[in-house]
Amino acid sequence: MSGSPRGMVGLVMRREIVTRVRDKSFLVSTLLTLVIVAAVVVLPSLFGGDDDEVTVGVVGNAAAVEPALRQAAAAQDARLTLTTFPDEAAARTAVTGGDADAAFLAPDRVLVDAELSGTTEQVVRTAYQQAVGSARLTEAGLDATAVARALDVPPLGVTAVDPPDPDAEGRQQAAFIGILLLYFQLIGYGIAVALGVVEEKSSRVVELLLSTLRPWQLLAGKVLGIGLLGLGQLVLTGLVGIGAALASGAVDLPSGLAGVVGQVLLWFLLGYAFYACLFAALAALVSRQEEVQNVTAPLTIVLVGSFFLALTVMGDPESTLARVTSIVPPLSAMVMPIRWATGTVPLWEVGVSMLLMVLAVVSLVRLAGWIYAGAVLRSGPRVGLRDALRSGRTQG
Amino acid sequence: MLEVDGLTKRYGDTLALSSLTFAVRPGEVFGFVGANGAGKTTAMRIMLGVLAADAGEVRWQGRPVTFETRRRFGYMPEERGLYPKMRVGEHLVYLARLHGLDAAAATRAAEALTERLGVATRRDDAVEKLSLGNQQRVQLAAALVHDPEVLVLDEPFSGLDPVGVDALAGVLLERAKRGVPVVFSSHQLDLVERLCDSVGIINAGRLVASGTVAELRERETTRQLRVVVPDVPATWAGTLPGVTVVSERRGEVVLELGPGVDDQQVLAAAARAGRVEHFSRRRPTLTELFREAVADVPADRVEVTA
Repeated sequence: MSGSPRGMVGLVMRREIVTRVRDKSFLVSTLLTLVIVAAVVVLPSLFGGDDDEVTVGVVGNAAAVEPALRQAAAAQDARLTLTTFPDEAAARTAVTGGDADAAFLAPDRVLVDAELSGTTEQVVRTAYQQAVGSARLTEAGLDATAVARALDVPPLGVTAVDPPDPDAEGRQQAAFIGILLLYFQLIGYGIAVALGVVEEKSSRVVELLLSTLRPWQLLAGKVLGIGLLGLGQLVLTGLVGIGAALASGAVDLPSGLAGVVGQVLLWFLLGYAFYACLFAALAALVSRQEEVQNVTAPLTIVLVGSFFLALTVMGDPESTLARVTSIVPPLSAMVMPIRWATGTVPLWEVGVSMLLMVLAVVSLVRLAGWIYAGAVLRSGPRVGLRDALRSGRTQG
Repeated sequence: MLEVDGLTKRYGDTLALSSLTFAVRPGEVFGFVGANGAGKTTAMRIMLGVLAADAGEVRWQGRPVTFETRRRFGYMPEERGLYPKMRVGEHLVYLARLHGLDAAAATRAAEALTERLGVATRRDDAVEKLSLGNQQRVQLAAALVHDPEVLVLDEPFSGLDPVGVDALAGVLLERAKRGVPVVFSSHQLDLVERLCDSVGIINAGRLVASGTVAELRERETTRQLRVVVPDVPATWAGTLPGVTVVSERRGEVVLELGPGVDDQQVLAAAARAGRVEHFSRRRPTLTELFREAVADVPADRVEVTA
């Protein structure tokens, strides 16, 4: 007979993965996640009204503003669609129906649905001023072409001393989607580990398993198997999201996106190792599925808390709160990717943050292993944490 | 030889096992009987290393049992346990592989066993879809699938119909014939009597009697006589001083002798009444032995469930 310890862990891992992948609800939820992510990436560009497109109508003698409108639109870098309406009623219908953003009823009166705003406002106001201005200059006897040339002002050149990173916002958005996924993966897969542990306890199969496996082998196989699945799902989701963005051409991928994705994956690994061990250890204390939620509530609270913390930090990634929490494990798992996305976090802070998290994971793995070993064979009422730790430690 | 030597286990203030000692030879079927909470399950869990003893050790082939040795044991826990949603065939292969078999050997063993135990057609079904009786068969297959050197089965017959009992008994005897020591616990004493080469009666954590069934019956002679005097009513016995009639059926009487009563006088009285066809000390059944052994123990011992 053979069977190295590592081989045993591999067998347990394989079972965890195969059982889950075959499960219809897993496939459905994975598919759903992918669809949602693709939708989140693509949809805004489909419906998020392109501000730089302006449709303006003119009625009757208002057609005089047309050249000015064209000029103004060109200066604003907006695409202009001009429509001519036979009368005011037709213009009104078009404006209220959303077919036109604004309609000139007369050279000095414009009709809008609710208010004049955005690019439309700029184009319309500039065009009006130009039309009025050039009309007056022409009246004053100036040559029409000279007036036109005088009013055609080239855009103002701007030189910034400290220009904002044009891609920072894009990276922030990517980081936001990243920690959203991170949050769902950590909580989902952490609970999967907890349920898996209790399934073995409540079905009593654990006694049979532990007559041929050491507790740490069973625990390691389960945590690694489920984690690998979670990582796979995360990578797949990322690929589909980026693929959707590229395919639709809707979003320009910001530079430094790879770094953000890397951060999210890295912190998933660290965060998962941290939480999964704790989920497993706490779940080992109880014997029924119904008790899992109760016993793992503290972890869920920390996870939810650090997610909202990350959202808060997004508003001000350079604050003291952000700097501190991005280093403290396990909060760092969700805060650091956000800070990373700003592109201004010093590398040494990232290093310290990761080092602390790794240290936390290493010490937790041992602790969790003890608790698990001390509690997993004790069915019935909830096992005390200290009690489990004590008997787990003596088992070595 | 599988030796259980001086196992002691304490749960708080209660003594679950007290210097439990017995040995099972290769090929021997050892029946472990005792009331609920007597310590059978505790003893078996310790033998499989699922529980640690406070004192004593378990030896196999002269050496203390280690984790590695135990992986070659077959175990059926009292609390049945399999993954409810796993398919029968895959489950058995998985367990066989955890015990160290390679994939091909594990598959072969799972196929052969499901065939042998009559659940071959259910290989692709989830365990939870099977009837309890069939789940029990799968559970036994789980204990046997890695061709164990030692078998320890906790209440393997509970919940089985007579056909299932026969199938299971057949498999156990077959393994024993191959030289595997088989230890099993049961409340069905007739079954223990039929299958076991030797029996251990445990009460309140202590082995109160052990040996072959014949030996035990030999040792524990009762003060009862079985006398057959055909065609004669049992009135001949009823008048003897110090003698009570326990039962009477068509000339066969069972008599309980009071202290100091000479059985030869009873024989003489029977001979006077008619032709004596049979006269013997009645051997106790295992059930009687069990009742007696359990009753002998002081009542102040606390029962524990484990």
